[in-house]
Amino acid sequence: VKNSLRLLRAERDWTQADLATHLGVSRQTVNAVETEKYEPSLSLAFKIAKLFGKSIEEIFEADAIENEKTA
Amino acid sequence: MKTRTASAPKRKSLTRGIVITAMWIVTYFAARFVLDKGFPAPQGVKIATALLPILPTALFLWAVVSAIRGLDELHRKVHLEAVVIAFPLSILMLVTLGFLQLAVELPAENFSFRHVWAFMPAIYFGCLVFTWRRYQ
Repeated sequence: VKNSLRLLRAERDWTQADLATHLGVSRQTVNAVETEKYEPSLSLAFKIAKLFGKSIEEIFEADAIENEKTA
Repeated sequence: MKTRTASAPKRKSLTRGIVITAMWIVTYFAARFVLDKGFPAPQGVKIATALLPILPTALFLWAVVSAIRGLDELHRKVHLEAVVIAFPLSILMLVTLGFLQLAVELPAENFSFRHVWAFMPAIYFGCLVFTWRRYQ
């Protein structure tokens, strides 16, 4: 799952540690989500969406192959 | 703005872990020393001495569970994956040494299936390093 977390964080001039504090997770978790090595749980995705005032779909985007499957 | 997550609970957890580990080491070696020396004592006292390290072991398990509950979702996933790999590896080691024991007499004092428990933390931490690499 692709995401625009790094971009959104950069817009607010936050470090990964800052974002981690806001979300109540570790910096490693933020890094793993940003680098798309870890897909967050639904509750964490909701937290992220709420924090940035966007919907989950605006932040997270299924990979191209996944989109083709669902098309 | 805070730039770091609070480290006080981590420090508290670490201190608790060190204290419990120290308790376990002291009670384990004290019990081994007393039982190995064969001091004359009633059977009940010997059993109580043998079970002495159980209390810090139970405390250690409680500390581990408490620490895991305090982790975030990625850390929990990493630990779970490490356990999933480490558990069968430990069984593999146990079974291997058990079968070897059928063919050759492995010295019980040095290296036999009785000592697999001592390797389990090393196997677990090895698996932890391995699983962490996937998410870094």
